[in-house]
Amino acid sequence: MAESKWVEPDVSFVKELKALGGDTLKKCYQCATCSVVCPISPEEQPFPRKEMIAAQWGLKDKLVGNMDVWLCHQCNDCSTYCPRGARPGDVLNAVRAYSIREYAWPSWLGKIVPDGRFWWLLLAIPVVIFLVLLNAIGHLHIPEGEIEFAKFFPTLWVDLVFVPLSVIWIPLTFGIGIYRFMTDMHKKALAEGKTKRKDLNIPDFLKSILCTLPTILRHNKFSQCTQNKDRYVPHMLVLFSFLGLFVVTNCFFVALYILQSPGPYSLANPIKILANVSAIALFVGGLLMIANRMRDRGDNVGKGSYFDWSLLILVFGLAVTGGGSELLRLAHVPNVAYPMYFAHLVFVFCLFAYLPFSKLAHLVYRTLAMSYSRYSEREPCE
Amino acid sequence: MEKKLGVYICKGCGIAEALDMDRLEKVVPPKIEVRKTHPILCSPEGVELIKQDIANEGVNTVVIAACSRRVLYDVFDFGPNVVQRVNLREGVVWSHKPNEENMIGEEGGPQVDELIQEMAEDYLRMGMAEAEKVQRPEPYQLPEPINKRILVLGGGVAGLSAALEAAKTGYEAMVIEKEAEVGGFAAKLRKQTPWTYPYEDAQEPVIQQIIKEAEAHPKIEIRTNTEVARIAGQPGDYGVTFKDAGTKSVWDVMSKEEEAAILEKLAEEGQAAGAREPSPDEPHTILSTNPDAEKFGAVVLATGWKPWELKEEAEEAPEAAEGEGAEEAKKEEAKEGEGEEPAVEEPTYEHLGFGKFPDVITNVALEEMAGEGKIICPSTGKPATSVAFIQCPGQGTDEDFPYAAAITSMVALKQAKYVREDNADAKAYIFYQHMRTLGQTEYFYKSAQQDEGIFLTKGDVVSVSENGNGSLVLEAKDTLLGGDIKVAVDLVVLATGMVPTTKDDPVMNLAYRQGPGFRDLELFDGYPDSNFICFPYETRRTGIYAAGCGRRAMSIQESRVDAAGAALKAIQCIESANRGVSVHPRSGDMTFPDFFFQRCTQCKRCTEECPFGALDDDEKGTPLPNPTRCRRCGTCMGACPERIIGFADYNIDSIGSAIKAMGVPEEEEKPRVLVLACENDAYPAFDQAALMGLTYSPFIRVIPVRCLGSVNVVWIKDALSKGVDGVLAIGCKYGDDYQCHFAKGSELFSIRADKIGEALVSLALEKERVQQVQIAIDECDKIPGIIQDFMATIEEVGPNPFKGF
Repeated sequence: MAESKWVEPDVSFVKELKALGGDTLKKCYQCATCSVVCPISPEEQPFPRKEMIAAQWGLKDKLVGNMDVWLCHQCNDCSTYCPRGARPGDVLNAVRAYSIREYAWPSWLGKIVPDGRFWWLLLAIPVVIFLVLLNAIGHLHIPEGEIEFAKFFPTLWVDLVFVPLSVIWIPLTFGIGIYRFMTDMHKKALAEGKTKRKDLNIPDFLKSILCTLPTILRHNKFSQCTQNKDRYVPHMLVLFSFLGLFVVTNCFFVALYILQSPGPYSLANPIKILANVSAIALFVGGLLMIANRMRDRGDNVGKGSYFDWSLLILVFGLAVTGGGSELLRLAHVPNVAYPMYFAHLVFVFCLFAYLPFSKLAHLVYRTLAMSYSRYSEREPCE
Repeated sequence: MEKKLGVYICKGCGIAEALDMDRLEKVVPPKIEVRKTHPILCSPEGVELIKQDIANEGVNTVVIAACSRRVLYDVFDFGPNVVQRVNLREGVVWSHKPNEENMIGEEGGPQVDELIQEMAEDYLRMGMAEAEKVQRPEPYQLPEPINKRILVLGGGVAGLSAALEAAKTGYEAMVIEKEAEVGGFAAKLRKQTPWTYPYEDAQEPVIQQIIKEAEAHPKIEIRTNTEVARIAGQPGDYGVTFKDAGTKSVWDVMSKEEEAAILEKLAEEGQAAGAREPSPDEPHTILSTNPDAEKFGAVVLATGWKPWELKEEAEEAPEAAEGEGAEEAKKEEAKEGEGEEPAVEEPTYEHLGFGKFPDVITNVALEEMAGEGKIICPSTGKPATSVAFIQCPGQGTDEDFPYAAAITSMVALKQAKYVREDNADAKAYIFYQHMRTLGQTEYFYKSAQQDEGIFLTKGDVVSVSENGNGSLVLEAKDTLLGGDIKVAVDLVVLATGMVPTTKDDPVMNLAYRQGPGFRDLELFDGYPDSNFICFPYETRRTGIYAAGCGRRAMSIQESRVDAAGAALKAIQCIESANRGVSVHPRSGDMTFPDFFFQRCTQCKRCTEECPFGALDDDEKGTPLPNPTRCRRCGTCMGACPERIIGFADYNIDSIGSAIKAMGVPEEEEKPRVLVLACENDAYPAFDQAALMGLTYSPFIRVIPVRCLGSVNVVWIKDALSKGVDGVLAIGCKYGDDYQCHFAKGSELFSIRADKIGEALVSLALEKERVQQVQIAIDECDKIPGIIQDFMATIEEVGPNPFKGF
């Protein structure tokens, strides 16, 4: 008999997973139907059967830092076929939520972002910052004349908030989280014999990322889902709209500060077209994802927790307030357009500031885990 | 009454197409005047034809050559007249296809297969011969008026419930309990496993309510501090002597040895034990009758179980409590020529630390602890915070602990919940190989699973050892967690089973010649059943019905249901005895073994071999039949070397005559094989094979027998000496997973067959000519192969040299 491993269940971990949407995890009786029906699980050491018992026994070490938890895309084929209603797909989703929190720095933000009791606080932070800022520059009123949002909130001031957020806050906080995540994942993969590569070689890992990106962009994993294949299109719309808006924001940043050409821009401007198409895609994608979450699959499968819903609302809110601001500007309704813009800025702030702590962090964690899976040769590079 | 045979041949169901009916009818000897063929004998017209002959022609023995005796027995029921069935349909025409090479018949006349025709003619001859020898049976009447009171041994859940069920049906019941209080182990429980919706939580024990109800019932008498000294007599007429628990009585049933010594002494004194008036302080043999004994009609055995105990030393020395039955059975086995089984070593579970660490306890100890208060570690007296339940002893087996049945899974779940309710921070681990939560109790498993502090995994527990800091370490391999794991615990609970009280103790104290307890215990793991699957509640002693954990480890609720079954079975037995018919498995059979005592040589083989202890004997060894204890299997008839035992409708002569009526051609190419088929499994399998269109050799002649145990070797000798080439006995499986309806019949035959093999060799006949095959009722597909194999053997050994003599 090989050296046996000490096992010490952590009951509080079980309770937290239950609170994060994995409330059914104790129902699993280990038949492994889930691992059999999972369309995207690797053949060797397939998930989520083993993750389920680890969750039942409160074995945090086996779950947090386990790449398989991130390879799961919550198709919920497993949950649909589960004879006991244990919803493995949702349990893994809860494990991911827990993991995001676990790697978060500063840890207090990691705690309050997923905590439904503090939503007002998260919103209050940008509201207060913006109000104080507007008040300081004497702009705390609806400007007269043609609607130009820069008249209300000068772009420079906006960027004084968002540029540090993007280039200091996110890299710093998320960087720490990512570092913790990567070292932990590698250590555990080694311990469980999922990889033979002893060290984490950065150039090789970057190659793995490159070979993973097409899979992500094409949503290959999503398209393999059967129960939740409806999510394929909305998720793609949202991802690409974010990419589009990222491009747009950078272009306009260049336009403003280098080309000295402030907005608003013509609707025929190709960048503006991209912006509007992305906004529509974000709106439609967000709406469809909400509808998808609300769809009845029986047994509350895939309904999601606060953690999931906060991101959905944020995404949809971004689309509504962004698109709304533009439409109201064109319709010339200053009394609503300016507050709408304010709200939009608040949402954008939330998106940026809470990125490493919210569900949106999966954008990075899952990408890294999928890349690591290829790096570790658990999955082949396509 | 003089016999008048009527022979009726049916032409339906393909019989007339396959056979030359005129030739067949010619088999009927001229002295039988009433002989008829009918196109469809089972039609109202056909039945009416027979009835007319009974009424007008005085026919009293009806030979029906049509279909198997297993079908249409209700149609061909002619009251007090004997009915003999000749199986032409399943036995001949459905199971044999004509072969072009064997066709005979005159031009223009019917063309039939000669071999099939011979078969049908043989069967008809055999049927008529048998019919001449059988009589309509008369039911047995008990000499004394029947007593319908039911004695219940054991005042636990099963016993009290059985008494209540019997009382509610209108029968009087008496419950005997050796402890000072009734209630049994159920009264010590903290809670019982759930038995009502939603089946999620352990429930308040129901025992107090049962006690109250039983104590209040006017038809129930409860005696505590009481034991049975002896149960004498037979169903419908038991005489039971009671005594204070723990005391000795002159009426205590002695061991066989003690009794033999006394009998010998009496013989020297020239006195018959039964006839003499024994002095009050002298132990009584089973031959004396206690005039003060209380009368009962049937017994419910509900003495339940004992907790499994670690045997200090695994010595084989038979202890006093070993049970007379077991010893006797062993001796008998040795006598029968079978080697004694190697002694089964009692497991010690050393690897689990039992007996070594005070904090490794059994589930019974934990339940007692929980019933009295909080769950603590015996070594420290501190509350247990981390408890491991081990369901399977491991070490290469995935079986649960012995005598666990399905109950220990439920108990572990219940006790894990105790651990959690006593201490919110406590952890309970369950290591199982099987989680047996049957039926609705699956909800209980589900609810235990929901508890965050209960951790379940399949796994093989390798060891329990000390951790150094006072706690224990449990190591397990092949767990669901992947790989080998170890957990630190402070209390380990072994899911040991419920050992039936009958295993080591002759609880019944029967004043039977075969001993005070149940026999053949090794075959039944110490349980008293006669056939657990097919005949629940029935023990190996007719009139005694087991209920509750003495029959199988079970829950309280199951015991209650079980008790109802046993009580009803006891009532069925009493009422059957009252009508003079067999209770089971041949329910309603009016026959019983008849002894021609003048020729008895007191060899005691019938007494010894009866699987149900129905026969006692007197001081000389002459059998004393107890007809209501009898199951009518005929094992005694098969055993008797003097051939003086028989039944009205089934005896040495009736079957012997049938065998003698078999035609044995002298041609070598027409061998003959006699098949003796047990009517419980083998004969139905033949019928079923025919129904499925399976075919087999036309050289065999099948005779159904009640049980292979009833086969007397004289039949085999008769067959072989008249030139039959081989005898094939097909019966039920015996041994560990026996399926014999009479528990030991097919096994006894195998012993007899061995002996006849030796006798054959001395007659220069090959041993292979007599064989036994085991078959189950659903194995009809094997019939052609079995016959083919045996025919091949016969071909190999060649024709019987006695042919033609």
